[in-house]
Amino acid sequence: MDSLELTNLLEKYWSCETSLEEEQKLKDYFRGEVPEALKETAELFRYFEQQQNMTVKQSFDAEVKKKIVTKPAGRSASMYFNLARIAAGLVVVVAAGYFVREEVRKAYPTQNEDTFSDPKLALEETKKALMMISNSFNKAHKEAGKINLFNEAEEKIQGKRVGEKKVNI
Amino acid sequence: MNIESFENRVLPTKNKLFRFAFRLLGSQEEARDVVQDVMIKVWNGREQMASIENMEAWCMRITKNLSLDRLRSKQRKSTDPIEEGFEVRQETLTPYERTELNENMQRINQLMTALPDKQRQVMHLRDVEGYSYNEICEIMELDMSQVKVNLFRARNAVRERLVKLNAYGLS
Repeated sequence: MDSLELTNLLEKYWSCETSLEEEQKLKDYFRGEVPEALKETAELFRYFEQQQNMTVKQSFDAEVKKKIVTKPAGRSASMYFNLARIAAGLVVVVAAGYFVREEVRKAYPTQNEDTFSDPKLALEETKKALMMISNSFNKAHKEAGKINLFNEAEEKIQGKRVGEKKVNI
Repeated sequence: MNIESFENRVLPTKNKLFRFAFRLLGSQEEARDVVQDVMIKVWNGREQMASIENMEAWCMRITKNLSLDRLRSKQRKSTDPIEEGFEVRQETLTPYERTELNENMQRINQLMTALPDKQRQVMHLRDVEGYSYNEICEIMELDMSQVKVNLFRARNAVRERLVKLNAYGLS
């Protein structure tokens, strides 16, 4: 780059009219030997380039990855998590239902077992039971007969009243 | 966005984000924290960010906002009056950071740090990182004329001081 071109380019730079390519050209130029008058300007451009060497420490990536992996999962993952929770709830309910049913079955067996092996004995027992019912029934019938007394009495009274009414007419 | 595209599109921007955050905050440690926050923010919002065309500019924008938030909360916390002048930000550099810059570079660094926030950011984005004006508009959330005005002022402030340094040999 000759001095005229350099001067023009620098003027453009100070008035913010240079393109990125032209600015790179200036940076490239000032990397080399420069006239004494431009020493300070060269420092500025070297400074810009030197700043690019500043980097974060090596362990940065690993630290970030560690943090983002342990962070709560995103939306799609949390949806699966919720589904899994619902499924787990259903499993618990179904399992509990099954065990309760089993317990109920054990506590109240549905099958009737034979109580007697000898038919004669069974017949006697049946007869005894039927006699007991019969006796109780008769006893109750006798007692119920007393209620009839009331009915008859009520009918009599009603009959009288009807008679009275007829007389009144 | 899955972890693979995160590694390919977002993680590689880390150094640019770091330099930008450092330019604003003046502390490597804080800049690193901010970049880490940006990464986590992008990852957590990855579903919404699928449509973003220029992921790098987007990350830079988040970096700028998080850095400014940090600066603001720092200013709120400190009871000291805000100092002005050249050396203020230089003091925030650790001795290790200071040795990284040689004397000349330190001088330029002082010129840059003395610039107002917006001018400094725009100049950094253009001259250090080589972003186009459109990208700078996107990152800074400014229109083209504001970007150009800020860059113009920044470059000329630096130029003026360089000339003075040259003329009087002040350093």
